Amino acid sequence: MEALERALKWAEENLKAEYIELRYEDLKKTTLGLKDGVFTSFTGKLHRGVAIRVLANGAWGFASTSDLSNLEKKIEEAYKLARAVAETKKERIELAEIKPVEDFVKSKMRVKPRDVDIEEKVAHLRELEKLLKEDKAVKSVQIRYEDGGGRKLLLTNEGTRIEWDYNYLYQGTYVTGKADGKLAMARDSIGAVDHGWELMTEIEPNEKVKERLLRKMHSQLKGVAPKRGEWPIVAGPIVVGIIAHEALGHLAEADLTINSPFKDLIGKQIAPEYVTMSERIVEGGFGNDKYDDEGVPVKDIHIIENGILKEIMLNREYAHKWGMEPNGHARAESYRYPPIIRMRNTVFEPGDHSFEELIEDIKFGYYVVDFRGGQAQLNSAFQVGIQEGYVIRNGEIAEPIRDTSITGVAIEALKKISAVGNDFGLEVGFCGKGQIAFVSSGGPHMKFDGGILIG
Amino acid sequence: MGEVIAMENLLRHAEKFFDEVEIAVYRSREVSVNVELNEISMASTRSGAVTIIRGIKDKRLGLAIVDSDEPQRVREAIEQASKMAELNSRDEKWVSLPEPGKYREKPEPNYELKEASPDILVEKLVKAIALAREKDKNAVVAGGAGGVSWEERRILNSHGVDVFQEGGASYMYVELVGRKEGVVTPGIFDFDARRDLNLDVEGIVERAIQKVKWAYSVKASRNEEVPVILGPWAIAGLFSYALLPAFSGERLVKETTPLVGKVGEKIASDVLTIYDDPFHPLSLEPVIADGEGVPTRKNVLIENGTFRSFVWDNYWAKVYGTESTGNGKRDLRSGGINIGFHNVVMENGKRSLEDLIGEIERGYLVDGFQGAHSSNPDNGNFAVTANPAFLIENGEVVGSSVFLIAGNVYELLKQASEVTKEQTVMPFMNTMTTPYIKFENVKIVGK
Repeated sequence: MEALERALKWAEENLKAEYIELRYEDLKKTTLGLKDGVFTSFTGKLHRGVAIRVLANGAWGFASTSDLSNLEKKIEEAYKLARAVAETKKERIELAEIKPVEDFVKSKMRVKPRDVDIEEKVAHLRELEKLLKEDKAVKSVQIRYEDGGGRKLLLTNEGTRIEWDYNYLYQGTYVTGKADGKLAMARDSIGAVDHGWELMTEIEPNEKVKERLLRKMHSQLKGVAPKRGEWPIVAGPIVVGIIAHEALGHLAEADLTINSPFKDLIGKQIAPEYVTMSERIVEGGFGNDKYDDEGVPVKDIHIIENGILKEIMLNREYAHKWGMEPNGHARAESYRYPPIIRMRNTVFEPGDHSFEELIEDIKFGYYVVDFRGGQAQLNSAFQVGIQEGYVIRNGEIAEPIRDTSITGVAIEALKKISAVGNDFGLEVGFCGKGQIAFVSSGGPHMKFDGGILIG
Repeated sequence: MGEVIAMENLLRHAEKFFDEVEIAVYRSREVSVNVELNEISMASTRSGAVTIIRGIKDKRLGLAIVDSDEPQRVREAIEQASKMAELNSRDEKWVSLPEPGKYREKPEPNYELKEASPDILVEKLVKAIALAREKDKNAVVAGGAGGVSWEERRILNSHGVDVFQEGGASYMYVELVGRKEGVVTPGIFDFDARRDLNLDVEGIVERAIQKVKWAYSVKASRNEEVPVILGPWAIAGLFSYALLPAFSGERLVKETTPLVGKVGEKIASDVLTIYDDPFHPLSLEPVIADGEGVPTRKNVLIENGTFRSFVWDNYWAKVYGTESTGNGKRDLRSGGINIGFHNVVMENGKRSLEDLIGEIERGYLVDGFQGAHSSNPDNGNFAVTANPAFLIENGEVVGSSVFLIAGNVYELLKQASEVTKEQTVMPFMNTMTTPYIKFENVKIVGK
């Protein structure tokens, strides 16, 4: 875009900045919110604006605006902010070197959501609601659908020029059920950046989503309270994923690693040798991309490799600080925000046990399948609400459990992993770290001989 | 003045497309400064406008959002909303957009917030970092931020609603991590938020440092039944997810709240009085109109333990046959209106936190809960981890601990025995203004 090139050129000539980055977005989004038969949101959105980030005298200044007139002045504003911050700093920020990229990132979607008639989207949501409400126990259904697409540009004074044909879609479904005076809630989410509308029709059709939701809801309605305490636990891919993301992944975000126990554990054995956890491109991953928002190619990394804590997620600033190569984890929610270090797809890698082998030796324990909300602290203490779980009795899956949560300290729990399943599952979601990012997490079934408290 | 007329013209234009239509314009400016590892890491400004069109044609709703208030782009958004409405299906329950109401007098905005320079925030944060480092050499200011935001909003609709409001707020927080003798404390937060620039830097640092000091001494927790004092952050977290949704009129209509049929019933201990009041002195947004232009008011939810009323927006109130309580909140992501709160106040008491701690032989003071968002608002069940939590023995805090509380928020409400004099505003998911609250015989699970 000419106005951006012109403003960047002006800034290069007139400001004494080490680094100038312009990130432009022009996106059209559609949000549909269906709540018990009524579309409470039926919204078309037009988002257009520029994020300006300037490094001057070793400090950052940032400006975001939706007003595209006089961009030169906005760049100067960010520059002045950087200069003001620089006066307070003892340590100058420097960026790891990268090779500037010129590229056009094509969408891998087969059917882009913006090419699908809205009538079809509406019909799809209505069908899912109808399918769910065929179950008499279902009291309330809420479906939130969003898709977006358009152009994203990244220009830097180093010569990076990347244009994305950027697209995504997401659907979150929430069901409230009632039976015998008991209320229960279940949620489900699907989404993709590489799959288009085919996600809704082929990969995750309504039938499949319905079955999952009703299973979760009924397990809650029929569930009994678990016995509180520390029992052997088999965690399914979705729960394993949330532990990977919340309790371990965040500690491996370089800006957080510095204050976490991971800082002193890099290069050390922190889990059995059959445990590997990666941050990588995954088929269907919601965090997939070719470049990050600093124009760095996205690389696969092993956070834990054969039990050893190995790599962390970096942006250019932290890569320089740690003397490492940046690996493509600087992400920004939108032009309203500067990029920060984020996860993409955080997964445990499969091992070689069948599900039956994982549960066969357990006299009494729990099988936790799906969660509702999870949270962790920088010491890797985590708390995950369980929306689907079962008792394991004498090596077999028995009755469901309800309204419970699991807690533990992940670094301790890792050591208690006694077997890793040979399967793999993934769930998409949003991660909040002051900004929202599309992420996935997952892994195989895993067995924990303690280290996780239920109740 | 030109802008005011321009918006009215746009409304006239929009009326051609719809039976009724609403235009909401939000203009905002925010400056913020971030801290990472004992240093200022970035200063930012964000400015821009968002215009939302909500139009109804033949009971079909259409919404559009555009990042602009330029007439040309607003016109585009009007057309977009009209297209959406055409494609939407009829909502037979739809009655109408709100009519103009009688508003309270607008509070005088503090214009120093409108043009606040980031320099003020830089200065305050530099001071906070220096103070924290001086008071505790083992503490690191892991993170923090300060910000000042200003917003001007105007809501117009085709029934004659036309409300303009402006105002701002400032906030600041620090996150400290202490490392001493092999102990790494969890992230310890403290903060301040207000409607002027007098952020209490010393207070923030002092409170955070005190908690870090307690956190150095790690105490094991065990299964027991003890008195527990919940701090404002813990209360705001837990109640936002487990309790407040239950007061929504929408949930009454759909019968997904455990409060159905309980108006006038005792649901909490006498010491608890809870109301939503945008005009409370500590409120950060003293709005006279809600997100759809309905006058706001004080709505009592629980009075001395007795459940008084649900809250409503225009849509659900009309479906149910009652009046909106001014609790329509704009969802800036979807453009729609949801039932929400402006400033939930838990009434405070007479004695100080120190007095309450002084009387506890064995118990806990909980600063924050993890996992509150996994609570079930349909029945009030929750399972949370108290972290950071501080052990009280013989009337004094002696160390920090981590434990689980699994229970039901309605049982917990009955266990409340006292509220403190201190009251803090927490701009959490719902803004809550709350004292510390002591609960008796809380079952905790140690770890």
